[in-house]
Amino acid sequence: MIERLVASASSYAPDIDGLILLIAVLVGFWFLLTEAVFFWLILRFRARDGQRAEYITGEEKSQKRWITIPHLLVLVCDIFIVVGAVRVWYEVKQHLPEAQQTVRVIGQQWAWSFVHPGPDGRLDTADDIKTVDELHLQKDVTYHFELTSRDVLHSLSIPVFRLRQDAIPGRVIRGWFRPTKTGVHDFQCAEICGIGHGIMAARVIIETPDEHAAWMAEHAPTTSLAAAAVR
Amino acid sequence: MQAMTRRAAVAALLAAASVAGPAPRVAAEDADRGATLFRYCTQCHGEQGEGNALALAPAIAGLPAWYVERQLEHFRSGIRGRHFDDIAGMRMRPMSLTLRKEGDVAAVAAYVASLPPADPEPTLEGDPARGQQLYATCVACHGADGAGNQQMNAPPLTGSHDWYLERQIQNFRQGIRGADPADTFGALMRPMAMTLPDDQAVRDVVAYIMTLPR
Repeated sequence: MIERLVASASSYAPDIDGLILLIAVLVGFWFLLTEAVFFWLILRFRARDGQRAEYITGEEKSQKRWITIPHLLVLVCDIFIVVGAVRVWYEVKQHLPEAQQTVRVIGQQWAWSFVHPGPDGRLDTADDIKTVDELHLQKDVTYHFELTSRDVLHSLSIPVFRLRQDAIPGRVIRGWFRPTKTGVHDFQCAEICGIGHGIMAARVIIETPDEHAAWMAEHAPTTSLAAAAVR
Repeated sequence: MQAMTRRAAVAALLAAASVAGPAPRVAAEDADRGATLFRYCTQCHGEQGEGNALALAPAIAGLPAWYVERQLEHFRSGIRGRHFDDIAGMRMRPMSLTLRKEGDVAAVAAYVASLPPADPEPTLEGDPARGQQLYATCVACHGADGAGNQQMNAPPLTGSHDWYLERQIQNFRQGIRGADPADTFGALMRPMAMTLPDDQAVRDVVAYIMTLPR
């Protein structure tokens, strides 16, 4: 249902959508019910000619049960929400499945830059592919990401993955995702980081294995003797 | 009073820049537009375009409009400021993309050109005497006085911070700037920068530039 509003493209996006839906349904049910009771009470006990208002202390059992019964029922609903939330939290944040690839994501004022492993599949080797504003991923590959910041707090927020993670200067934060659909999706920093925060955007490009291989071949780093000479 | 004078100067610059010769009312509106747009730049470049090292923002006051305009277009198109190691450029690029409407770039460039040039103090240690010898390579385009030459597409060097000049020369040497195939002017500068043999030579030539009169 949520996927109709915001596209979904990661393996755990349905779990998060399910949790949001569960919370929306349970909270929505109680909201509508209490509003209905509230307005019914207002109409039922509205001012009438010749009838004086009565002050009630709420100490009698017949009065208190209007509070205690809904309270207990809401607590039961809370148990469902907490169990669902802990399960999703564990799957998404605490349990990192084995990575097939690792990408590095770097936030800075006001751009995202990325280090992709080259054909050798490993980071910090000569064939790494570095990009700005474009994260290239392969469909159905489990990625770990290493999230860092060059300056201030940023937040990596990729709505199609249902992923949001703060980037903190001086720390490397690890997480994971597994893209499940090809496509191009925008994302945007989600932590106020200065005057350019609102335009600190980037794109995630999810490709088929063939497309990803072609992209890697096209962007394989070339060794410039001249550039190397001055380093 | 000062603001009015500046607006008049921008209006004159804009009028002079147009072959067709726009009506004075239109030029004055553009001058106001440039001043308004420049408010966004002041966050990093300062109220008078004097620059701010902490924000990695160089002095831009008094730079010729043609150069500011071209650099803004380079940032907007990603020719500049889209290299993985160009930390300062990546800060500037999104800012340039806020100039969305036609004429915004020209208006803000004209306003920057109307600002009184900065006179930054030297912060780097270098040998100006050795730098003078090395500067011989730069004279053909930037001029003996470092005042720049539009015919050669060379901006003025005087009035810039030494840390900015050093970083840009290093960026040219390392291919962080001027390596994009679409950067025809950067492609001219890059081999020139690479004639400087080492980091000390870069600091020396910058030290010499800082001795040139503004």
